[in-house]
Amino acid sequence: MIGAALILVACGGSSTTGAGLGSGPLLVGVLAPFSGADASFGPRYLAGCYAASLSINGAGGIGGRQVSCQQFDTRGEPADAVPAANAMISGNSNLMGVVGCTSDEASTVVPILDRSHVPMFCMTGQSEFNKTNFKYFHRLVPPDSFDAYAMIGSALYGPNHPPYKNVALVFGDDIGSQTFVGPAVAALKKLGVNIAINQAIHLGAASYRTEVASMLQTHPDVILTETIGSAGTYMKEVKQQNGGKVIPFIGTSATIDPVWFKQVVDAIGLQDFLANYTAVDLKLSLQGAGYDEFVTELTAADSKFPSSNATTYKGKSPTVHLYDGIIMTALAMVAANSSDPTVYNPKIIEIANGVSGATVVSTFKDGVAALKAGKSIRYVGAAGENNFNQWNNSQQGYNLVTMDKDGNEVVIGELTQSQTQQIIDAGGNA
Amino acid sequence: MNLYVAALGFGLISVSVISIAAVGFTMQFGITNMINLAYGEVMMVSGYAAFYANQAGVNIWVALIPGALVGAVLSFLLNRFLYAPFQRKGTNLIGMVIISLAASLMIANVMLPIVGYYTSSYVVDQGPLLRSNGLVLTTAQIAIIAVAVILMLGVHGLLRYTRLGKAMRATAANPTLARNCGIPTQRVIDVVWLITGALCGVAGVVAGMNSENFSVASGAGYLITIIAAAVLGGAGQPYGAMIGALIIGIVTELSAAAIAPEYKEVVAFAILVLVMVLRPQGLLAKRGALAAAG
Amino acid sequence: MNSYYAATLLVYAGVDIIACLALNLQFGVSGIVNFSFIVFQAIGAYTAAVLSMPPDTAYGGYQSYVGGFQLPFPIPWIGGALAGGLLAIPVGLVVLRKLRTDYQAISLLVLSVIANSVITNVRPFLNGAAGIAQVPGPFSDQVDPLSQSYQLLYVGLTIPCVLLVWLVASRIVNSPFGRSLRAMREHELAASALGKNPVQLKMTIFIVGGIIGGLSGAILVGFIAVVAPSIWLYPETIILFAAVIVGGRGNNLGAILGALLVPVGFEEATRLIPPTIGGWVPPPNLIPAMQWVAIGLLIIGFLWFRPQGVRPEQRRVFEGAPIREDSNDARPA
Repeated sequence: MIGAALILVACGGSSTTGAGLGSGPLLVGVLAPFSGADASFGPRYLAGCYAASLSINGAGGIGGRQVSCQQFDTRGEPADAVPAANAMISGNSNLMGVVGCTSDEASTVVPILDRSHVPMFCMTGQSEFNKTNFKYFHRLVPPDSFDAYAMIGSALYGPNHPPYKNVALVFGDDIGSQTFVGPAVAALKKLGVNIAINQAIHLGAASYRTEVASMLQTHPDVILTETIGSAGTYMKEVKQQNGGKVIPFIGTSATIDPVWFKQVVDAIGLQDFLANYTAVDLKLSLQGAGYDEFVTELTAADSKFPSSNATTYKGKSPTVHLYDGIIMTALAMVAANSSDPTVYNPKIIEIANGVSGATVVSTFKDGVAALKAGKSIRYVGAAGENNFNQWNNSQQGYNLVTMDKDGNEVVIGELTQSQTQQIIDAGGNA
Repeated sequence: MNLYVAALGFGLISVSVISIAAVGFTMQFGITNMINLAYGEVMMVSGYAAFYANQAGVNIWVALIPGALVGAVLSFLLNRFLYAPFQRKGTNLIGMVIISLAASLMIANVMLPIVGYYTSSYVVDQGPLLRSNGLVLTTAQIAIIAVAVILMLGVHGLLRYTRLGKAMRATAANPTLARNCGIPTQRVIDVVWLITGALCGVAGVVAGMNSENFSVASGAGYLITIIAAAVLGGAGQPYGAMIGALIIGIVTELSAAAIAPEYKEVVAFAILVLVMVLRPQGLLAKRGALAAAG
Repeated sequence: MNSYYAATLLVYAGVDIIACLALNLQFGVSGIVNFSFIVFQAIGAYTAAVLSMPPDTAYGGYQSYVGGFQLPFPIPWIGGALAGGLLAIPVGLVVLRKLRTDYQAISLLVLSVIANSVITNVRPFLNGAAGIAQVPGPFSDQVDPLSQSYQLLYVGLTIPCVLLVWLVASRIVNSPFGRSLRAMREHELAASALGKNPVQLKMTIFIVGGIIGGLSGAILVGFIAVVAPSIWLYPETIILFAAVIVGGRGNNLGAILGALLVPVGFEEATRLIPPTIGGWVPPPNLIPAMQWVAIGLLIIGFLWFRPQGVRPEQRRVFEGAPIREDSNDARPA
């Protein structure tokens, strides 16, 4: 009852600055699928949270308050996500922020979190959040449509090949894959590129022999694809039926994943993989002081929470980005000297984008020190700098990448601003 | 035109995988009256058993044996400790279905923490690709078809020419009468679960070979196609299941060629619906299917 | 417990109760094993959604679906209910014939899988796998849907629906129609010998159940503002069956109890399993997996120890009926 009263007061109260940070432990909720078809998502977000909490607590916590992480399973579907979100809010009056909210459930949980004034960093790529009015919503990953545009950019402007003329789209029929197709088709049509075939395959099906045969008949130059979990099955057929020759294929940023790498290399062999695979990825440098701190804490999380397998996620964009999101939320609380989300939420974007003359910091510890010295700060963290637009979306542009023989990402090029803009305009930034 | 011939060839592989599984499933139903919704999960577990053997260096074709064994033992235990006690208690058909679903939920969710969420694959040497008149098949795929044919002939031989087979058919037709004629129905049922469990296990491994990638979630995916094939042919009829598998396997691949591939399963199921309308007891079922509600 | 969570539980309970009452009419009272039940809830949700949504060019046009008539309450809810009833007609005609119950059951199961697959893949129809989002609930123009008063309003709309459905279901169960249904369930041959037309009886109750099921979907979609194929996969039907059986089939109170126990109770209580046990932090996916195992065990446990359900169906005895030695009629095998 008291918890509920506190939340009501927090929502109704006016923004007094510096009401103090309060006392007692703080909680970050990881609201994501931990069971069901997308059960692999939750753990990678949780790992990011663990790393952030250790970094924060190691520097004395937020005004002495220690941060911990807890998972809240949405079971990967909206109807189960609603009680999960509500139970999380109702049972935890010390909720400082939430990470997760994938496309499986974002449509239902984002309004719930927003109305309860819970700052959130969401992983959904859905276009409906491109121009949202939810003040507490933050997105550090671009909408899926942007991945699609980047792939087209790769097909048209990528290094080591002339622009492809005949494009095959092979995506799964699930929500995550579906969001690429619409924008891709629109953009390709506008740009006058021929769509050889637009194939939606049923993920997890036993085989795709006939699908591949149909695709091969259209003689595409390149395949744009994601098909997480079924890529190996599909590409194996391509190689087999095409007389041992693999068609160049471009993957989304989600394909830059050791598991995907292994599946496809097992299917078509390392040689063919290296010769034919490229992908697009967010400009994640995976370097710098912020990233180093992230890796340190991730390793520490591995020993403190052994079952979390935290270090396996050290190259994964969601883990890195959500770590940054939590650090920024923590710094926002310190900067506002308040544990009232209506007060500190606006500070998150300030700290991410930075005001002019702000000191650049890359760890929570440095940020607290700078704030104590009276400076304003800009957090450039593990994933580099962020630039939130007016709709709380932030992205840094795309690299064109491939993988080396060990599955590590290698940058081979990038798209210029004008190239990217041209494709976005063609696709219609929904 | 070549696409359709190729699709026909691919259809044969699908038929092989489905038929092994569907025959086992339908025999479980026909002889023990059990719609075993945990069948797909048992396939998945057997697939993983073969996977671990394969990882340890065993050739995947030899790994069919541990797969079959695991399938047999798991199915036997499932019946002995879960299904049979409930059946003895007089639980009705629908209660049994719900129990089998609960069992499938539990098996899948116990496997998850053990094997993880990511997909796995076998090491299979596909062998040379053979092309003939538009058919495109690897040696390994032809071997799968061969395995299916052998097993179907085996089932046929078992049912028609052995005493055990006759006992099974008698138990299926009328358990009480069979018992009164001196057939040890309890023992027969145990053996049925072992045999169909072995079929289930082999089906799980073959399905894994077919798909390249499989995971815990694959179990549920197998189940519906198997049920469709079994019902199409007439539930409880092994030969019906073979025909059902044939129809579904071929139609699925042909429609992937002719229409959009995302509908290929839907077309197969639509055929099922059509058959249900025209001949509700399935293609081969005897009149027993039309008995009064019970 | 804050009011939003309380409201969620109440609305979900209402939706599940209505669904279980419908299923009880179809299965508990009449013996139709409708393993495609969840599709009726889904069609109610989709219909309510496309009736109440603006045209699909709204919000930047990121969804594509039919309809979009922006009709006010109560039309979407009525539409959802009617859609459920209309769907029951072709499905009933195909399946409700002289089929053995288990064949019927499997056929309906496969139908529900087909439906889910079609909706997922025919994207422009109902927006495919992503489903339809930002569905406006009743009176969401007048009252802010994110406010506490709206939660109260929604519970206030749900409860009368539950009561109405309960009233209708009770009337049916206790009426001559209900007696015919039970007669048909117990002994179809005898019932038809007495002049009852089983096929007609089944169609009628199938349609009634469909209408009520559709209503439950409309109520759900207005509350969570989203409907997608992931919400109505076939195991959901089996959970509802478990609810009806655990609660006690054939009687409405049993159906209500079952709805509170299984979909609400089991599924929500398993959220309370603590994330850490002692000092040990289990692997992230372990507890959710164990929740499902717990649900399975609960169902099996209930069926073993109390197969007649928490509240068994009352045997109706009529005065003047000759006293039988064995009240379980010995039927030929």
